[in-house]
Amino acid sequence: MTGPVLELRQATKAYGGVPAIDGVDFALERGEIHALVGENGAGKSTLTKVMAGVVSLTSGQMLVDGREIQPRTPLEARHLGVAMVFQENSLVPSMTVAQNLFLGQEKYFNRLRGIYIAAQQFLQSLNFDVSPTATVSLLGAAKKQMVEIARAVLHNAQVIIFDEPTASLTPEEKKYFFDLVLELKRRGVSVIFISHALEEALLISDRITVLRDGKHVVTDMTANFDRARIVQAMVGRDLSQTVYGRHKETVRPRGPRVLSVQNLRMAPMVKNNSFSIFAGQITGVFGLVGAGRTETFKVVSGVLKRDFFHGGEIVLNGRPVRFAVPAAAVRSGVAYVTEDRKVEGFFETMSIARNVYMGFLAKMGGKRPFMLRREAASIGESWIKNLNVRAISKDVKVIELSGGNQQKVVVAKSLVQEPELIIFDEPTRGVDVGAIAEIHQLLNRLADEGRAVVMISSYLPEILALSDRVLVCRQGKVVEEFSALEATEEKIMYAAIH
Amino acid sequence: MMKIRLSQQVIVFILFVVLFVGFSAFLPGFFRSNNLLTLLQNVAILGILGLAMSIVVIGRGVDLSLVASLSVPAGLVLQMVQYGHSVPAALAAGLALALAFGLVNGWLIAYADVPSLFTTLASGLFLAGLGQVAFFKIDVVQWSAALDGLAVIGRGTLFGIPTPVIMFGLASLAVALFLKSTRLGAYIYAMGDNPNAARVGGVPVRPLIVLQYVLAALIGAFAGLVLAASINSMPTRIFNSTLIYDVILVVVLGGIGLSGGRGGVLNTIVGTLLIGTMLNAMTILNLSYSAQNLVKGLVLLVAILADSFVNPRNEETAQQGDI
Repeated sequence: MTGPVLELRQATKAYGGVPAIDGVDFALERGEIHALVGENGAGKSTLTKVMAGVVSLTSGQMLVDGREIQPRTPLEARHLGVAMVFQENSLVPSMTVAQNLFLGQEKYFNRLRGIYIAAQQFLQSLNFDVSPTATVSLLGAAKKQMVEIARAVLHNAQVIIFDEPTASLTPEEKKYFFDLVLELKRRGVSVIFISHALEEALLISDRITVLRDGKHVVTDMTANFDRARIVQAMVGRDLSQTVYGRHKETVRPRGPRVLSVQNLRMAPMVKNNSFSIFAGQITGVFGLVGAGRTETFKVVSGVLKRDFFHGGEIVLNGRPVRFAVPAAAVRSGVAYVTEDRKVEGFFETMSIARNVYMGFLAKMGGKRPFMLRREAASIGESWIKNLNVRAISKDVKVIELSGGNQQKVVVAKSLVQEPELIIFDEPTRGVDVGAIAEIHQLLNRLADEGRAVVMISSYLPEILALSDRVLVCRQGKVVEEFSALEATEEKIMYAAIH
Repeated sequence: MMKIRLSQQVIVFILFVVLFVGFSAFLPGFFRSNNLLTLLQNVAILGILGLAMSIVVIGRGVDLSLVASLSVPAGLVLQMVQYGHSVPAALAAGLALALAFGLVNGWLIAYADVPSLFTTLASGLFLAGLGQVAFFKIDVVQWSAALDGLAVIGRGTLFGIPTPVIMFGLASLAVALFLKSTRLGAYIYAMGDNPNAARVGGVPVRPLIVLQYVLAALIGAFAGLVLAASINSMPTRIFNSTLIYDVILVVVLGGIGLSGGRGGVLNTIVGTLLIGTMLNAMTILNLSYSAQNLVKGLVLLVAILADSFVNPRNEETAQQGDI
């Protein structure tokens, strides 16, 4: 058989009228490793979710082995031979490896001994070093992934989709993972591989497809790509002219020390972390997944519950503090702008104005026993104007806005509290290009006003374009500090990895 | 999407009007001022309990112990007066009991992280049992003459309207003011909409949960006093009735989404009127108690089904706009 094992033609998927992917053509050959790259929000996840039956196409066709078919559930996709390994594990933590492998395929009488023996033989045939009787929750990230892969192979998957498979792996585990993928390829399995790590894509894939803003940009043999060509295809223009701007030439001077953290511990994510944050500056915090950046600042701002607080000292403006809840931090002038606005950012049933006003009420506390409608409207309107939120009116529900405008509302909800120290966690994640520039301007404005701005970001160009000072985290602590003048992508990445 | 959500309360109201007109036309004796006043009087207590439930449901909880809050503190007041204690002392004791009960409920749910469904199921049973064992001599506690100064809250009429209905109206006004115009009311909506976002934004979520259950217990106790005044006694076995289902029915049917953050007092009132009409018609039709339960159960199931259609919480909406 020749021809692609899986093909999408003019695939479009819209959420609430906004296309996440728009007229994408994509073909996957038999036994190839196909890397899918693109910026956050380029449509990579949506594209693969369509193939895996997690979401259905709004329009367009999907062909499996040349036959038009559209899986409506992950189970249907699995029957078609398409399996997806998710970023978050989809294993049952309290069950053993063998039980997970055979989950959903148990015979009528489920003999544990039988499945242990079968699992043992199967894992050995794949040359996977995992014990079938081990409980999944006790396994490391790499072994969990192994189990997921084994399960996909067991289900006779012809196509296995990996969404950011290496994000949580150590370098040795990564190497092992690549061997696994190559082994799958030898078995004739086609692999789709979503990655932000371009080096990995270049190293392992046969072909690369670049998506941008939901559209297909280019598909070519990996040999014809280099890093610069991929980046250019991803952003669509030369990097020096992007919204991220050029390398900084001047930095803002340090203001007074606003925050000082000494030996902060929170097992297992934060280990003896010490650093300071100064007023009137943007401090960029870079680190790979698992570096404990978000956790550290969530402890500082009281978002993580005190139960997880294992020790160390946090000094805010010369005063030791220990916020047990965000409410206390907010009153002390600390605001945390979440990286996940849907889960902990905004109120979806409420209007824009009401969302912003909720932030105001939370800060004012007892000083506002009653809501003042006129105040709510005027505060809402002034912040919509201030942050240039594009909406028909202040009464539009936040859920109906685009990602960038939602993010602006979440930011406004915190800024209305007039924080002295404001922590942005991935402020431009899932935000459209135009809004990215506006949010960056806003961060600069806040630092110019003399506030202490912390920007946690996983995107190096963003870190370099905005930060006056760069902190690099690795394995639970800040390991290196650069002035923006001396920082380069290579230096930062080197500190984050080694 | 938007249109459906806006008109949910209107749909229920139209349903109420259709039923009302239908019954008026075809049910002999329904459309008489006497019967309509009885209808209102019968649902006034239910309505007040519905207000208490609304506050909790808007904040993403549920309070199944409301009927215990209705019967036990009010029963305690009646019993103490019967024993010869002074009225203020009895009232203070009843109030303290309701307050303590709400605090315990709230603490268990907010600080011990027990789901509200199970907490209030168990605590309601406990309170009702406590009443039977420790407070009440017999199942029906009689209204003593010493309490007659208080009887105005439930007995007689004002401008031809039965006082319980007026009490329902006053309670509605107070709860509406609380929910729509105070900071704490706004907090409750925020918490019901997205508890994580509320917390991160600086809303004191846990104290707020406690407040919800304290308010529910106090409103429940108030409903109990109104009930006792209107029927001259407190039938403490009311806990074993199906009243709590009616309360949930009022809230869900009125269009206060069980997923929280939606609806208001108007929804409770519309829901109450609809249930009142339904119950009254079933009584006139002389349906047996069991048959009435069958109908109520069916309506509740349909209402919950409709609620999860109108206010869906599936993966796809959770990921709207998320790429």
